[in-house]
Amino acid sequence: MATVTYAGATRHYPGTDRPAVDKLDLEIRDGEFLVLVGPSGCGKSTSLRMLAGLEDVDGGKILINDKDVTNLPPKSRDIAMVFQNYALYPHMTVYENMAFALKLRKTPKSEIDVRVKKAADMLQLGDYLNRKPKALSGGQRQRVAMGRAIVREPQVFLMDEPLSNLDAKLRVQTRSQIATLQSQLGITTVYVTHDQIEAMTMGHRVAVLLDGVLQQCDTPRALYDTPANVFVAGFIGSPAMNIKTVALTDEGGVFGQMILPLTREQVAAARAGGDGKVTVGFRPEDCQLVSATEGGMPVVVDLVEDLGSGANVYGHAAINGGDERFVVSTERRSMPNLGETVFVKPRTDHHHAFHATSGIRLA
Amino acid sequence: MKMKHLVLTLWAFVVTTPLLWAFMSSFKTDSEIFDSPWALPSAVRVENWGRAWEQASMGKYLLNTVIIVGGALVLTMLLGALVAYCLARYTFPGNRAIYYTLVAGMLFPVFLALVPLFFVVNQLGMLGTYHGLILVYAAYALPFTVFFLHGFFRSLPSAVAEAAFIDGASHTGVFFRVMLPMARPGMVSVAIFNFVGLWNQYLLPLVLNPDPDGYVLTQGLAALAISQGYKSDWSGLFAGLSIAILPVLVAYLLFQRQIRAGLTAGAVK
Repeated sequence: MATVTYAGATRHYPGTDRPAVDKLDLEIRDGEFLVLVGPSGCGKSTSLRMLAGLEDVDGGKILINDKDVTNLPPKSRDIAMVFQNYALYPHMTVYENMAFALKLRKTPKSEIDVRVKKAADMLQLGDYLNRKPKALSGGQRQRVAMGRAIVREPQVFLMDEPLSNLDAKLRVQTRSQIATLQSQLGITTVYVTHDQIEAMTMGHRVAVLLDGVLQQCDTPRALYDTPANVFVAGFIGSPAMNIKTVALTDEGGVFGQMILPLTREQVAAARAGGDGKVTVGFRPEDCQLVSATEGGMPVVVDLVEDLGSGANVYGHAAINGGDERFVVSTERRSMPNLGETVFVKPRTDHHHAFHATSGIRLA
Repeated sequence: MKMKHLVLTLWAFVVTTPLLWAFMSSFKTDSEIFDSPWALPSAVRVENWGRAWEQASMGKYLLNTVIIVGGALVLTMLLGALVAYCLARYTFPGNRAIYYTLVAGMLFPVFLALVPLFFVVNQLGMLGTYHGLILVYAAYALPFTVFFLHGFFRSLPSAVAEAAFIDGASHTGVFFRVMLPMARPGMVSVAIFNFVGLWNQYLLPLVLNPDPDGYVLTQGLAALAISQGYKSDWSGLFAGLSIAILPVLVAYLLFQRQIRAGLTAGAVK
């Protein structure tokens, strides 16, 4: 059981002009499942490897349970890690793979046996204990990697995109297994992924990173409902939010003939240094397809994705002289045809406003 | 496909025929060897082998060779693996300089080194000793071993080493418990290569191993061929030759089954 604290942790690779991780401040609570998410190259894996002790920390500190571990080697940090490519020991059996860490710690044989068997039962690996990794399927290998971490009973679990080598169906299945397992064991977990759906479904809290800088760290719901800036708004949610920078009036953002209303405070904040523009966004599911007379924005349909449960409609509309692309989620019954013109009307009070130049949310 | 088989068959024929012929001749009498070189021996004359083993001391030379080559091989593989691993997986100042110096050793003609080597070994009092030859052999085989294993260790997934570090292994532990077992196919390949090379080594012992009691097989064979002069014992020579060849063949057959590519399969995705 442990807390993890990043205090201004920085990693600057020699020969690069900007840090891979820039003054990261993050508090992870005891027993929490925290997900680090962001596009590739955002520094999420580096942050995790800094916590693991596999990467140097060039500035700031990292604490586990309020103990400074910044300069400790990995083995003194009492952590366990699951790697993206599993990193199993190929010359050892499944049992030996899981027992390796305990053996190095001189744990008595009888206890190793009990702990390995218990973990194997949890992960349905009981029948494979004498197999070598190469005789296992991808999903089984992934479970062995999990098992190797579980038998350690460490202070913190670190997981570096553990699901990205599984096929789609297995990924969804394993996703819920890992989340369940974590809540059963109650071990603090830091989980890295580039997949925002994984982040939203698994994490108690989600930290979004971009270019080595923490953008926002909050519960999945808060990230979704009140993204702190344009990047988070666009990154979280699938299909992505429709975000456009449009002209600003006293009432709000001008969307063709339609106006997305803003509060007086929002308008004032947007004015400051905003160059007469404001960035507004609405989620695909926060709008309706209406008839021509109800004052929607005319959008020509380019593509319709039938998901079975609903449909995503992709289209373009002429706004402020330019062609802008939009996506709308709709019910299957009202699915339009290709080339058809539909009228899109965002639900009032469900849109987001950001400063046009800084990208910061307007409260 | 057919062409490939034809070429391979031809190649196999070219390689095996002289071996089989020498082996067959070792059971013939001298006159049979010259009168009917392609015919099978009229009777299996095992006494040729006995003569080579006892009178030509091939037995003793075999023992000498096994000790020297075996010792040199163990030393080369241990040192070579350690050096290659450090150079391949750790960055430190001078890393490349050390690597290139070692690799340059492969390019250096051994003939140029012979005379100074003789004086060095002589002054160390190691001329004609087991340990003297073992050290020289190991130094001789090290450059290629490091070169080969360096590439091999580079290709091993670093995530596995990291996993071992997190599991609590020390640097030595990671090397001996995880990385070395993973490098086994490479180790076996380079060990076979070194074994064959050192077993057939003639020039170095010729200079550094002057005592007839301490001869290795290659020197013994040469002595056997030369000492015959006019009273030739061709069948004995072929028997001695076969004695020298057989261990290499056996070693190769045993080990080649162990060279299995794909030993690392299953480590990472």
